[in-house]
This record gives sequence, C-alpha cells and structure tokens, in this order.
Amino acid sequence: MTQPILQAQDLHKTFGKTEAVRGISFDILPGEIFSLLGPNGAGKTTTISMLSCLLAPTQGDARIDGHSIRGQAAQVKAVIGVVPQEIALYPDMGAMENLRFWGRMYGLGGASLRQRCEELLDTVGLADRSKDKVETFSGGMKRRLNIAVGLLHKPKVLYMDEPTVGIDPQSRRRILDTVIELNRQGLTVLYTTHYMEEAAELSSRIGIVDHGQLIALGSQVELTKLVGQVDTLRIGLDPEGLEEAQLLAAVHKVKRVQRASLENGQLLVQAEGGHAALGGIVACINQAQARLLDLRVDEPNLEAVFLHLTGRALRD
Amino acid sequence: MRALYIGWKDTLRRFRDWKALAGMLAAPLLISALIGLAFGNLNDTETPISEIALAVVNHDDGELGQIYVDVLHSEDLTDLLAAENMDDLAVAQQRIREGELRAVVYIPAGFSDNLLEGAQGSDFGSHAEVQVFTDPTANISPFIVQSIVEQISNGLNSALLAGQVSALQAADYAHILQERMAGLGEAVADQLSPENFDVRESRLGLNVIQTGESGPAFDPYSFFVPGMAVFFLMFSVFDGSRSILQEQTRGTLPRLITTPTPHSQIILGKMLGTFLTGLLQFALLVLASTLLFGVNWGSSPAGVALIMVLTVFAASGLGALLTSAARNESQAGIVVSAVSLIFGALGGSFFPASNLSGIVDLASRLTVNRWAMEGFTKLTVGRAGFNEILPEAGVLALIGLVTFVLAMIGFKRRFVR
Ligand SMILES: Nc1ncnc2c1ncn2[C@@H]1O[C@H](COP(=O)(O)OP(=O)(O)OP(=O)(O)O)[C@@H](O)[C@H]1O
Ligand SMILES: [Mg+2]
Repeated sequence: MTQPILQAQDLHKTFGKTEAVRGISFDILPGEIFSLLGPNGAGKTTTISMLSCLLAPTQGDARIDGHSIRGQAAQVKAVIGVVPQEIALYPDMGAMENLRFWGRMYGLGGASLRQRCEELLDTVGLADRSKDKVETFSGGMKRRLNIAVGLLHKPKVLYMDEPTVGIDPQSRRRILDTVIELNRQGLTVLYTTHYMEEAAELSSRIGIVDHGQLIALGSQVELTKLVGQVDTLRIGLDPEGLEEAQLLAAVHKVKRVQRASLENGQLLVQAEGGHAALGGIVACINQAQARLLDLRVDEPNLEAVFLHLTGRALRD
Repeated sequence: MRALYIGWKDTLRRFRDWKALAGMLAAPLLISALIGLAFGNLNDTETPISEIALAVVNHDDGELGQIYVDVLHSEDLTDLLAAENMDDLAVAQQRIREGELRAVVYIPAGFSDNLLEGAQGSDFGSHAEVQVFTDPTANISPFIVQSIVEQISNGLNSALLAGQVSALQAADYAHILQERMAGLGEAVADQLSPENFDVRESRLGLNVIQTGESGPAFDPYSFFVPGMAVFFLMFSVFDGSRSILQEQTRGTLPRLITTPTPHSQIILGKMLGTFLTGLLQFALLVLASTLLFGVNWGSSPAGVALIMVLTVFAASGLGALLTSAARNESQAGIVVSAVSLIFGALGGSFFPASNLSGIVDLASRLTVNRWAMEGFTKLTVGRAGFNEILPEAGVLALIGLVTFVLAMIGFKRRFVR
C-alpha cells in the first residue's frame, strides 16, 4: 500500500474562546486531489494554516512527506506550495517581478529561476503580461498569478485555499483546468472550497467540514450513498401571507418525505424518490393557498449530503 | 542573504511610490529652500545685533591688559560693541543685573606681570586670567563678547608662546590684533536674522566667531538642511516601518512565513528595508542639497557618512520598535507621526537644542534627532573632524542597537505562532 504524503492527526486550533478547528484527521495519498468542503467559518483556512506551519496547532500534529509540522517546519515548507485564500502578491510590482521575488524566498535563483518563472507565466496564461504591475490585473489574473507563486519550487503537495472565490466563470474554468492538468502531471493537491460542484469535479476524495470538525470523508460516490436514494426538492414560494408552520407540518406528513425546512419562502425537502413525493407536496402547497414560484428536483449530490448531515444548506 | 532580497524589494517599492518620494525628498528640499530664501533676503538688511552694551574693568597697569581695552574699543568693532570703561567691578556687575549691560570684561590687577613672568617660567599664565561676566538672560550677545575676548586671548597666547611678544612689543601687538578683528562685526551681523536670533543664534554666532579667523561665512543651509533631512528621515523611516503590519494584513507576510525563509531573515529583511530606504533618502538629500544649495557638509566625509548611517540605523530601529508594539497599522501610524513630530521639535530639527535646559534638555537628549543634529551641526557649522563626532555616533549606535534587538524580539513574539 502506498504511504500517505500528508497525514493530519487530531488537529485542534483555539483562538481565545473560538474553537476554530476541533479534532480534524485525514490522510492524503500521493497524486490525489483531496478537497475540504465546508461553509464559511468551518475551519478550512485554519486547518490549511496549521498544515503550512503558519499557525501552531493547539493540539494534534501532521506529517507531510514524513516531516512533522511541529518540529520540522523547515522541511515541511520545502515540500509544500501554498496558494492562500487572499491574493498575497505585491500589487505595485510586475508579474515577473513578483515571481522572481517569491522564487528567491524559496531559495531559487539565477537562470533556473528565470526559466521557471517564464514557464509558470505560460502555465497560468500571463506570459504576455509579465511586465505589467499586478494592480492592473483583473481578479482572475491575480488569482492565477497567486497560484503560480505556490508552484515556483515544484512542491510535492499544493494547498489551494478557495482559489476560485469571486471571479468570473471563464477564469474559474481556467483555474480548474489548471488544477486538473497539474494533478495529471503528478502533483498532489489539497483543495478547499465551499462550492460542491468544484469538490465534485476535481476530487478523488472529499472531507466535509463543519464547525471545525470533519463530519464525513470519502469519495463522492461513497458520500452520496450516505444520503441513500434521497432527492432534494427546492421549492420557491411567495412568502407573502405564508403560514409557514402549518405548511411545514403538512409537508412532513407526506409519504417518503424525510426532512423539510422552510426559510424565507424557500421550501427544502428531502424525500426518497423525489418525483413520487412531489404530488403530495404540491397538494399541501395548494391547500395552504401558497403561490408556487419555482421548483427543482436534485438527484443525490454533495449538497444533499451536507444537508443530510447538518440539516443546513451548504451555502446560504 | 534572503533578508537582503526582502530589504531591497521594500526599498524599490518605496522609491517607486511617488507619494512617498514627495515626503522623502521633495518636502525637505522645498522647505530648506524656503528657509534659505528667507535668510538670503535678510542678509542684506540692517545689522540685527549691534552696540552690545559692555563694560571693560581694567585693573591691570601693564601693556597686555590695555590690549583688551584697545581692541574692544577699536573702530572695527564700534558697530557691534558699545564698550565703556569702568573702575568698579561690583558696580559693573550690578549694572548687568539691572539689565543695562550685557557683559563685563574684567582684567585683574597684575595681569601683564603675571602673564609675562609666566611666559618665562614654567607655569605659563597660571595667574593671568581675563574674566567675562555675562547677562544670563541674553542669548547671543554674551557669546559674541566671550568669543571676541577668546580671540584676543588666543592671539596673545600664541604670540607669547612663540616668543614674539615681550613687554616692550606688547603695545604694537594691539594693532595686529585690531586688524584681525576687522570685518568681524560685519561677518557676525551678516549671519544673524532679527526675528530668530533669540532662540537660534547662540550656536551660530558662537561658531561663526570661532571660525571667523579662517573666514568661511556662515550658511543658513548648513543648519536647516540637516535639520529638515533628519526630520523627514524620521518621518519616512517611521512610516516605512509600518509596512510589516501592512504585509501582515495584506497576506504577504503570512505567505512569506510559509516559504522556507527563516523567520529571523524575514524580520531582519523588513528592518533592512527601512534602513536601506532611509539611507538612500538621506544620501540623496546630502547630494541634492550640495548641488542645489551649495551646502557644505564639512570637511569630514567619513564623519558625515558615519552620522548618516547611524542616524538611519537608530531611526529604523526605533520605527521597528514602535511598530512592533502597536496594535495595528493605523495605530502604528498615529504613534509614529506623533513621535516624529515630538522628536523633531525636541531634538533640534527646527532650532538648536543647545538652548534647552533642565527637563526639556533631558527629554531632548532622549531623541534620535538631538544626537543626529549635534553630530551634523558639529560637522557642517563647526567644521569638526571625524574624531569630534564620535560621542554622537556612539549614542546613535547604542539607540539603534537596543531598539533593533527589542524590535526583533517583539516581532518574533508577534508573528511567529
Ligand atoms: N486569527 C483568528 N483569530 C480569531 N478567530 C479566528 C482567527 N482565524 C479564524 N478564526 C475563526 O475561526 C473560525 C474558522 O475560520 P476559518 O477562516 O478557518 O474558516 P474557513 O472555513 O476558512 O471560512 P471561509 O470559507 O470563510 O474562508 C471562524 O469562526 C473564524 O472567525
Ligand atoms: Mg477560509
């Protein structure tokens, strides 16, 4: 059996009274893309920060390529590449200039550094903007350069903390393709996101994080099995004059319905064989004299898993 | 080694920032130019200090005491000094207290005899002493009188030592001295501005007279350019020290910490950045002021370089220390602005701190500006040599060393978790 390249063991981090991470453990095998999926404030960045030796764990340890984050920070830092959630570049310096500076911080230099920088500018599609200052870049371009910096020293493991936040769909697609391509070339990736589609598309395995804990871990297939053949129905209702409690009670009584919640006119129902339950639910809505605005039935997916495990939607 | 890259990166970024450059270079040069212009205009106007009320009490019946009397009454000095002869020292002193006189020059009985005997014996001049009593409330005039008397004494001493003067020749010597005094009053008058001399001129006046013999005219730029340079150096170095907190909030410092570059190199690099920036800024100010205003930075380039390097060192150490103790970037901003202003005012960037006394003087001696200014004015105005500025250099080095070490410790505690 192959040895994991990263092993996190019972990581805890407490900030004052806030328990940001409460005992997270997982392994990543070489060549995997492993995603941590969780809502805002789940503890993803805190976990990555501990694995980057940026924050000392309150408790627990992790080994990366055999080196402990507690005692062997220098060795750990040499094998990891970090792409922070916030763009960490010097806006008043050029793209190439940024890369060269960060390269030096990884101990690179000379002709090999220059060559590596050019290579990476090419990889992230910024070769023609190499001299331009980063402050003139679009959000997507900045994110791409942010990734390039993490790759300079050819790390064994790349941490990417929500690398697609706040950018347009094309840039996002481009970044996802880059991640897939890098992984194809053998790079192990630890990816965090709160977009379940990204986790689903990229990852071989996914850890679902909520309130500082790993509440589920496995491949997408394994995780969706947790939910069973349960579909998710999203029904938009006109909130005006809606008798919420009454309607919810009625929906709960419909056959096959396992869970139901209603918030701001959004009725969220999990039912075994969603389509079969639809008739009963619509009848309830009619009875409550509510106005139906839209309706969607989702097959089991990661979102449903999160809902199943926490009773909440992944995104608000 | 990597600290150098970080420091150089910071220096480059700072010199690309037009707003920062305006504060670093344009502002001090502009203000110096304005002050210089104001001084230039005043040079042509009336003698600002004239007819200093002074009494000569000569109890000596020899030739040498008479030299002082003659010189102080000489025609060349009549604009500057209004000297009268008096017999009673106590009465003369009383008139100082009453504000009628600024100074009394007292030549004791037997002065000539003592001096001439001493010149032949072993303990030269031990009993011959001219005393100058001055008005403690006046700033400038006592210095002028004192300096003139010193000049006479120096001239006399060297003549006696060289064996040029015997009792017989002494009378002739008075004429030689008087000639040397020619133009002195004019030179002094030229340098003094009527509005400012009360707070400012004691140092300048004194220095002018001390160097009067070899004759380089006093130049207002040689005081104000170092003053402005030190003040704006502190300002921009302090401002630059905050960049570590900026990097913290903008995420580049955390990213630096995730690279294999050791923490100590990162912190050292950040401090090196402010140091290098400040050094370049100061060097450019020295260069620009020399070219633009013809400021003479003195005859000891090594001395200027040493005070410059150590001033920047102390300023960046202190800036780092203040930053390491501040809660956040904006708090650091407030603290460093306040400190640069207070330091500028107390430390003599705007007027000579040598006038200060008591607790204010003590406080002044705690500022980087004070020691930097003492060093620079010694070099520019006083034409001091390398060895003479070593005490100031030592204090600056000490301030720099202590603040740097404390800042290193503070930053390590703060950013390494
Ligand atoms: N330096 C800190 N001091 C205090 N609390 C913190 C600190 N960093 C994070 N937290 C808290 O820890 C919790 C987890 O935060 P974290 O940034 O790890 O979440 P996240 O999963 O990355 O969220 P997001 O998707 O918004 O990036 C939050 O409640 C956050 O407020
Ligand atoms: Mg985060």
